[in-house]
Amino acid sequence: MRYRLSALALAAAATLLAGCASSREVSIAPLPAGESQADLGLGPGVRPLSSGPGDKSAPNWSPDESRISFVLDGYVVDKPLNTQGLRRWTTKDFGAEEVEYNSKGGLTILGKDNPSNSKAPQPAGDSGATSSIYQTLPRKESFKLNKITGDALAIVPGQDGKGLVVALKTNTFQSGIAIIGSDGRVEKVYKNLIGGRVMGLALSPKGDQLVLSVQGAATFALYALDLSDGSSRVLARLKPDLEIFGAPQWTSHGIYYVAGDKNIEKTDAAPYKLYKIEPDSDAPEPAPGVGEDFIASSLRASPDGERLAVIGRRNPNSLTNLYIINVATNDLQAATSNDDMEIKTGPEDLAWSRSGEEVAIIASGAVADLKVHAAPASSLLADFYNLYEVPVNEQ
Amino acid sequence: MRGLVFWISGAAFAFVVTAGAFLFLANLSSNTSEKSLSPATPSAASGPSLSLSLQKDQLSSLKQLKDQKLTVTAKNSGDEELSGISLTLKVSSEDTSIPEVRYYRATVDQIKAGKSSDTPLDIDLSPLDQNDEITSTRTIIEVRATTPSGVSAVKTAILPTQTSQPSG
Repeated sequence: MRYRLSALALAAAATLLAGCASSREVSIAPLPAGESQADLGLGPGVRPLSSGPGDKSAPNWSPDESRISFVLDGYVVDKPLNTQGLRRWTTKDFGAEEVEYNSKGGLTILGKDNPSNSKAPQPAGDSGATSSIYQTLPRKESFKLNKITGDALAIVPGQDGKGLVVALKTNTFQSGIAIIGSDGRVEKVYKNLIGGRVMGLALSPKGDQLVLSVQGAATFALYALDLSDGSSRVLARLKPDLEIFGAPQWTSHGIYYVAGDKNIEKTDAAPYKLYKIEPDSDAPEPAPGVGEDFIASSLRASPDGERLAVIGRRNPNSLTNLYIINVATNDLQAATSNDDMEIKTGPEDLAWSRSGEEVAIIASGAVADLKVHAAPASSLLADFYNLYEVPVNEQ
Repeated sequence: MRGLVFWISGAAFAFVVTAGAFLFLANLSSNTSEKSLSPATPSAASGPSLSLSLQKDQLSSLKQLKDQKLTVTAKNSGDEELSGISLTLKVSSEDTSIPEVRYYRATVDQIKAGKSSDTPLDIDLSPLDQNDEITSTRTIIEVRATTPSGVSAVKTAILPTQTSQPSG
């Protein structure tokens, strides 16, 4: 009887403890996958990085991917990735073209020199317009910038995002290269290396060579330049009626560039094609894997050089989308599923995050008609060009 | 032997009492969190509510000129009278580098529950950029209504660009 009483008490205690354990399961219910993310017209998983009015361009991720900078109506801003809180870095009439985070957490800016003079007649092969390179100063010095150099034509961040490589106009028909250190000082200058005007440049994956697209008096050409001794060689010279759009990209499996007929107005439907050339070859070929109808616009190599992000169309009748090419396998995958959005196709209008897991693009919805919304202008998305983050880690 | 059984039974009883106390406290805690997770049920037309509307016909007829007329309609959709409603209309460009912004303000004394009030405003829609004869970018009209008690509403209209010099 006594043992029975003890056993009963222990059984009761065990039952009560089991009751305690089962009550914890009630409060944990998983959120249905994808329910928290609406499709913004670019496909699932795409999320906005900005909102409100203004023409945005040239996005760039901070090294730790906590912030993103861009050019807004010609001036430079940056913001935290997931909240508003726009920080303006230049005066509103600055005329910024590109902006890059530097390794010290500030910004390096490419800004137009005398934009009002760019309409003056210039010799063939020389548009005349140049830019200057600036570095931002601590925020307490409101809108003050440190000018690094003038006569700049194009920039690309140095290896691993440290320093800067700048193409310079050295005289009317020649260009040079300057290597800028992380502290903003000019470390090395190669003068009069290249005949013509550098329109874009990119580093090789090892960081020891550059590929340059150069506009000569009559033709465009691709040059490879060895940064150890400044020697250069022509990789390819295009036919007189062809031009290279934007900067070429040097991947782990060759150099890619976009070219098309310079007599046709450059729109996202203009028949510009994607080409590939091996660094030790002089024979470019249509990029494999994209199909002969593919129309390419802007392109960027991933930080590890293994993938290429391309904004383009599968064929002239399809919508513009972001595509990712695996350059080892030539596999082309759509990263967006465009539902009638207008994706910007400027040469600087896409950017890889440093991890290679996301690409930032710029898009807007139809803008021609009168629109009325029950929301403040600063919160509107598709009515203006805004930045979107596209996940690409699956491609 | 009897003493040993007594102490074992006592320990088991004490354990049961302690476990019961913990179970009671755990249930109290889980009940509280379940309550906080359940969504609030919206009650229709309870409390103050304000909405704004702009007439699309009127918006479509606006020109890039001075002295344009626009009527702002504020509606009290709640079940309480609203008073001292401040209206602010802001005219700006979608080009954020243009610094000029025009503000217009008006006050509606009161709107009874379920009623509306129209406020006609004369606004200047001539180009905000002094260097332009015609605006090449879209104009944004943003209207906000707020009451001293914190009830608010907002409406934004984005006017399309006009491709030729407007007349009239």
